[in-house]
Amino acid sequence: MSTEPARPLSLFRPRTPVRLPVTIAMLWLTALVMAVFPWLDQFQLPQLVSVFWSFEASHYDSVLAHFSWAPRVAIAILIGGALGLAGAVTQQVLGNPLASPTTLGVEAGGQFGITLATVFTPGILALSPDLAAVSGGLLAIGLVIALTWRLGFSPVTVILSGLVVTFFLGAINMAFLLLKGEWLGNLFIWGAGSLVQNSWAPFFELLPRVLVIGALMLALMRPLQLLQLGAVSASALGARVALLRAAALFLVVLMSSVVVSRVGVVAFTGLAAPVLARLLGARTLPERLLWSTLAGSGLLLLADTLAHWATSYSGGSLVPTGTTTALVGGPVILLALQGFRNTHHLPGQATSPGGFLPRRGDTRLVASVLAALLLLIIIVAMGWSPGLEGWRWTPVSQWADAWLWRGPRLLAAIVAGMALGLAGTLIQRMTGNPMASPELLGISGGAALVMVMLTLTGIETGRAGQLAAATAGAAAALGLLLLLARKHRFAGNQLLLGGVALYVFMDAGLRLVMASGGSTAAQLLNWMYGSTWLISEPEALGLLALVTGLAVTLLLALRPLTLLPLGDSAASALGLSVSRARLCLLIMAAVLTAAATLVIGPLSFVGLIAPHLARVLGQQTVGRQLIVAALAGGVLLSLADYLARVLVYPNQLPAGLLAALAGGLYFIWGLSRHGRN
Amino acid sequence: MSINLRAPLTTALLLLCLMPATSLARSWSHEAGTLVLEQPPERIVALNWAAAESLLLLGITPVGVADLPGYSTWVREPEMPDHVANVGTRVAPSLETIAELKPDLIVTSAEMAPAAELLQRIAPTYVISVYKDGTRPFEKAREMLRTLADMTGRSEQADAILADIDTTLEHQRHRLRQAELARKPIALVSFLDDRHVRIYTSNSLFQTALDQLGLANAWPGEGNYWGFSAISLDAIADTPESRLVVIEPLAPGLPATLSQSPFWTYLPPVRNREVYQIPPAWPFGGILPVKRLAVALTDALIGGGQTSVH
Repeated sequence: MSTEPARPLSLFRPRTPVRLPVTIAMLWLTALVMAVFPWLDQFQLPQLVSVFWSFEASHYDSVLAHFSWAPRVAIAILIGGALGLAGAVTQQVLGNPLASPTTLGVEAGGQFGITLATVFTPGILALSPDLAAVSGGLLAIGLVIALTWRLGFSPVTVILSGLVVTFFLGAINMAFLLLKGEWLGNLFIWGAGSLVQNSWAPFFELLPRVLVIGALMLALMRPLQLLQLGAVSASALGARVALLRAAALFLVVLMSSVVVSRVGVVAFTGLAAPVLARLLGARTLPERLLWSTLAGSGLLLLADTLAHWATSYSGGSLVPTGTTTALVGGPVILLALQGFRNTHHLPGQATSPGGFLPRRGDTRLVASVLAALLLLIIIVAMGWSPGLEGWRWTPVSQWADAWLWRGPRLLAAIVAGMALGLAGTLIQRMTGNPMASPELLGISGGAALVMVMLTLTGIETGRAGQLAAATAGAAAALGLLLLLARKHRFAGNQLLLGGVALYVFMDAGLRLVMASGGSTAAQLLNWMYGSTWLISEPEALGLLALVTGLAVTLLLALRPLTLLPLGDSAASALGLSVSRARLCLLIMAAVLTAAATLVIGPLSFVGLIAPHLARVLGQQTVGRQLIVAALAGGVLLSLADYLARVLVYPNQLPAGLLAALAGGLYFIWGLSRHGRN
Repeated sequence: MSINLRAPLTTALLLLCLMPATSLARSWSHEAGTLVLEQPPERIVALNWAAAESLLLLGITPVGVADLPGYSTWVREPEMPDHVANVGTRVAPSLETIAELKPDLIVTSAEMAPAAELLQRIAPTYVISVYKDGTRPFEKAREMLRTLADMTGRSEQADAILADIDTTLEHQRHRLRQAELARKPIALVSFLDDRHVRIYTSNSLFQTALDQLGLANAWPGEGNYWGFSAISLDAIADTPESRLVVIEPLAPGLPATLSQSPFWTYLPPVRNREVYQIPPAWPFGGILPVKRLAVALTDALIGGGQTSVH
């Protein structure tokens, strides 16, 4: 799509649809009216406009408007535009409608940098808040780039690594918050994103930075446009593709980190704005950059005004802007589910089946090695523990006493790992997609969302009630995904996008709780990352019975699982009642995911790793993959639970957090391995 | 005949011997049921800092405390002796460590309800939530002190401690009234960063100190169950006639940032020279921080206001 002005070709360029400027103008108008409305009883409109540059010292409302309200409006517009532009550039660079500073891990990286600086070197923060955030952001995107370098920044792989890096750094952040919560009180607010201002200084500090970085981004526009032709033709035309991408991404990191270090994590604006612009029909690169910037400003101003309103409504108790950006961003992303055509494939699908199948492995050998490993972990976990007098070995004769403290949680962790291994395999088979997992598709997120809402409303239910509620959440998420993605045959962005959208909503609830602070936040975070320590013996045994029952049922239902990926018509031609089989499997996957999520939280990655590991170990038929994945899941989570208990004794880490760390490392290793092949 | 007489006598004697033993087993009802103690507990584990503070006030050294390093950093007073064991974080203590200490009483709050059954297996558990929706923290903390004193046979000590706090508060109230400083309301805050503060609300522990000193709280609403709201600095401006009391610690660099902020310098308490900075008092503790705060607050108010923090 060249933009040479002299050519008559430009006549054939698609016209910008009218709905684009109209919708963005409506967005701005709504946001501005809502922002101005609460002040109208103190000020005339022209007076209110004048507070942007002047104030009357004798009139306190005027001081308030000049130093608090006006800079907040200005900074919302500035930051929204900056993030919108950064998002559009990211999407252009990676040719990917899901890319954004949030989904590439840059914001999580910035937060990570600030957390580390707060804990270890508070002096640096007073000196320059940018430094820590930029280093963290660079670390995050550096990880993503290093991982995907060999794959030539293959679009979806980049997003997957970005998500994993986000979860990974997020998990480390959480570990700090849980262990050092009192020291990091302000980080709860900062992590939730607040645009509250009390002077114009941050705005005027930010303005030149945003303008310079923005101008540099625009300077890269022409070469970037070549990228639209595809990497091969662009490099034929002489553009140094990799260098260009790296430079543009560096600018994106700078832009996001500069923003993040001043107002905290305002997630999803950088994703929602370009998505909205594209949905409304912005086609050429200049159009997308322009409208994404404007949409970003409008969206953030709207979100921030909503946060301001909600704050007044709750009697002054702060509702952070990060919550409302998530609430505004989520629906936009969900809308995008319908709008995008399925042009990209997940890794694994893009590879030919022959290339992706590793050597066949002997199931009996693999299974017995894994079982032996599991047994070893059980023995060590039961026997070798730290106590008040240091590490010591508990003789087998005393295991009956030790069981009370070490047994149920270990058993529950093993069972949860097995459930996730089964659920992951099930979902990968149902979607015919080897990168699908309960975590990345938001199915665990759906279960967790229901649990967060239960916590927020303060409803006390027993374990059975929690299991029922979490199952409903997981089933709703999975059902919604299957429904939305059916026409695309479960491939491509839709699934991931759905998972991201669900994650956004869950995130919004968490941020709200985090900003209100105190132990509720710590408790919820503890649960989110899996607190196995609370599990009692009957609960662990109940879970064991439930999962064993489901596992047996699954092994009896291997036929539908083998047939479904062949496609509906093929499967029904072979005598399978497709819709009923799908419904049964859906419910089973949801129950398994929910049961595991209750124990280990939604972010463990075991549902992704265990089935993958089974395939790497050479298990290709459904039955074998199920068995080996279940064993691998059990090994992973039992190890995580043991380490969570002993690593920082007498404190405990949530086991799911350790699993997420290990899972992130495995994923990173697995990706780089694929790159080499 | 004589045999007939001896039998009831023996029974009576037997009963007499048994009486003291049975009368020692006393029971207390608490938030999660009833607690029976055969004899006064000696090895007590405290799973939150308010409970640890109450035990130390009564002269009892707990055998285990949750987040021990945190206690020494944040609560400080009364000082924790050296040989106490750390039983893990306050949200997820290590049950095995608690069991290893072989306690005869565990003091915890309703927040530990999910673990109640497991704790009960280790030792009798006394559940009392100083911080909970719809409670007055000071009343609850006083109840906890009294009950713990009753369990350990130290009621006189508890009475003395409470009387001392009452006298101290009364004395401060008198000082303030003498200086005619009780009229304007007080906004009691801790800084989170240069834009956000925690403001202590009418359901906070410190409200008791304000009440006893005859001071009004400038913040109208109730906060979360810990008794605070996280608010933006401009929300303070809604009550322009109030005095601003800032509880230490302040982050390094914060006073400099504030002094450069025009919004801060135009804030009514700042313009009116009515900013007061007071030394740390743990806002989520038991009864002692109330005394500490009341004295510090009175001293600061009498010492005169300033135009910023330092």
